[in-house]
Amino acid sequence: MPYRPAVFTLILLALALLAGLLLDAPFGHALSGLLDQTHDPLARQLLLELRLPRVLSAASSGALLACAGAAIQFQFRNALAEPGLIGVSGGAALAAALALEAGFTGGMVVMTAFAGGVSALWLTWRLAGPHSPASQLILAGVAINALTGSLLTLLIATLPDGSLRTVTFWLMGSFASVDWRQATLLLLALPPIWALLWRRWRYLNLLQLGDAATFHAGYPLVRERRVVVALAALAASLVVANCGMIGFVGLMAPHLARLLIGADARRVMLLSPLLGALLAVVADTVSRLAIAPSELPVGVITSLAGAPFFLWLLRRALSGASHAHD
Amino acid sequence: MLTIEHAWLDTRLQDICLELHPGEVLVLIGPNGAGKSSLLSLLSGLLSPDRGRSMLNGKPLHQLSAARLARHRAVLEQRMIAAPEFTGSEVIAMGSYGHGQADATATAVALTGVGELLGRHLGTLSGGEAQRVLLARALAQLLGSTEDERYLLLDEPTAALDIGTADGLMAQVGRIAREHRIGVLAVVHDINLALRHANRVALLDRGRLVACGPTAEVMQVQRLETVYGVRLAELIHDEQDLRAFIPLPPQEN
Repeated sequence: MPYRPAVFTLILLALALLAGLLLDAPFGHALSGLLDQTHDPLARQLLLELRLPRVLSAASSGALLACAGAAIQFQFRNALAEPGLIGVSGGAALAAALALEAGFTGGMVVMTAFAGGVSALWLTWRLAGPHSPASQLILAGVAINALTGSLLTLLIATLPDGSLRTVTFWLMGSFASVDWRQATLLLLALPPIWALLWRRWRYLNLLQLGDAATFHAGYPLVRERRVVVALAALAASLVVANCGMIGFVGLMAPHLARLLIGADARRVMLLSPLLGALLAVVADTVSRLAIAPSELPVGVITSLAGAPFFLWLLRRALSGASHAHD
Repeated sequence: MLTIEHAWLDTRLQDICLELHPGEVLVLIGPNGAGKSSLLSLLSGLLSPDRGRSMLNGKPLHQLSAARLARHRAVLEQRMIAAPEFTGSEVIAMGSYGHGQADATATAVALTGVGELLGRHLGTLSGGEAQRVLLARALAQLLGSTEDERYLLLDEPTAALDIGTADGLMAQVGRIAREHRIGVLAVVHDINLALRHANRVALLDRGRLVACGPTAEVMQVQRLETVYGVRLAELIHDEQDLRAFIPLPPQEN
């Protein structure tokens, strides 16, 4: 019954989407607003123009981040990796902010973010060294994140209309201001990225036996690595360019998937995006309701849940490494 | 035929010529750092020689795609990163990714006797058990291939095994080579395993091929003493028609 957790997650995701859509809205008004166009146009507008793109963006962003996180974890054989921790998101955020400042819009912002994300990942990877232990890649990521974070803050601080609010948006993420155009972009980008990564499950599995084993089993290493890293960086950059940096979803979702259905990439790459979507929608709803009528940045919620999770993984990885040296 | 012609690889290998034929067991021996694993990587196509050529039936390996190579040869790597979270059956199934033939996987499981390890995670297996699972994966890759010529390259397959298991594994590899006409190249440290199970032996020393030929011809006491830098005694068991070498303590002058 390997697909039972996927069905279960889908049901939960549907419920979370409904809750995200309707909770806190004056319930009866919102529902009847959907059904009856003439009744309370304000509630209807709230639902269709704000809430719906918002929850759909949250779901597709969570799924994209989980795709990126799972792919990066398989590719680097590193259980601690995720786009936010190894510099991809930081590089993408800095580049996206620069692009917006330069007057770019839409697809150009995403492409610039993508370039920034890939560059930051490359830098992290070079800093850590290609065959470094898991913790070293994370250390290099810390350095790159510190650099991109401070450059981003510096950039915004020097802008005439720069505010702390903008900095918070980039560093902690938010789905509050996404519009239908952005939601559509994220929704349309998800299926091809997900499918292209999922169909590489054989390569991703073999990689866990080592680079040489993967080549010997018939998979061209350099080409496949480029494709996987590019797709993961694109997924993360899409989210960052539209919704800012949302940490730890890409870390948690693949690990939860592994706990539920084992290590096989064929299943992990299928389930992780569903779990990522669920996590992001729940986090977004909590961030919206926790201190209503004000809102928390969604990254606050994902980090509150994700950071302890990361510490637990780190502890496990470090104790594993010390056993290996015994 | 898998061949290496006058191959050089930076400082690791110098002017190596070697052939591997279907159905034979060629054992590669030599001291630590002699270049055995590098030579295996040349034969597998993972590395290309700086000078000289490595070829499959006259075609340079670097001109063949990774997928095409995988239909002709499988490799048991020396320092395979064991994926502790994967089960035995998941790892062995990785051998059939290229062809999708489940019966090849089943045959590989039967030949290596790993049936009882299928449900267990790799991280919970002993070194020897994990080695057999990984060997089954490599075999599954070859047995599902429809190519006539297939080669199995084993880098220290017996490193983690006790003497009984090591001997059993090499005997099994020999049977597989004969019955399935698979050419086997095995890098082995134990010269007595080479003596017992090789059809031919290649002796490597500091990047050079010192000797290559039928086992009895290559494995002479004096030659081995020179290459390994130890004194050896040769024991002969007449009834079983067996030979073995044991190292002697250095002579005191």
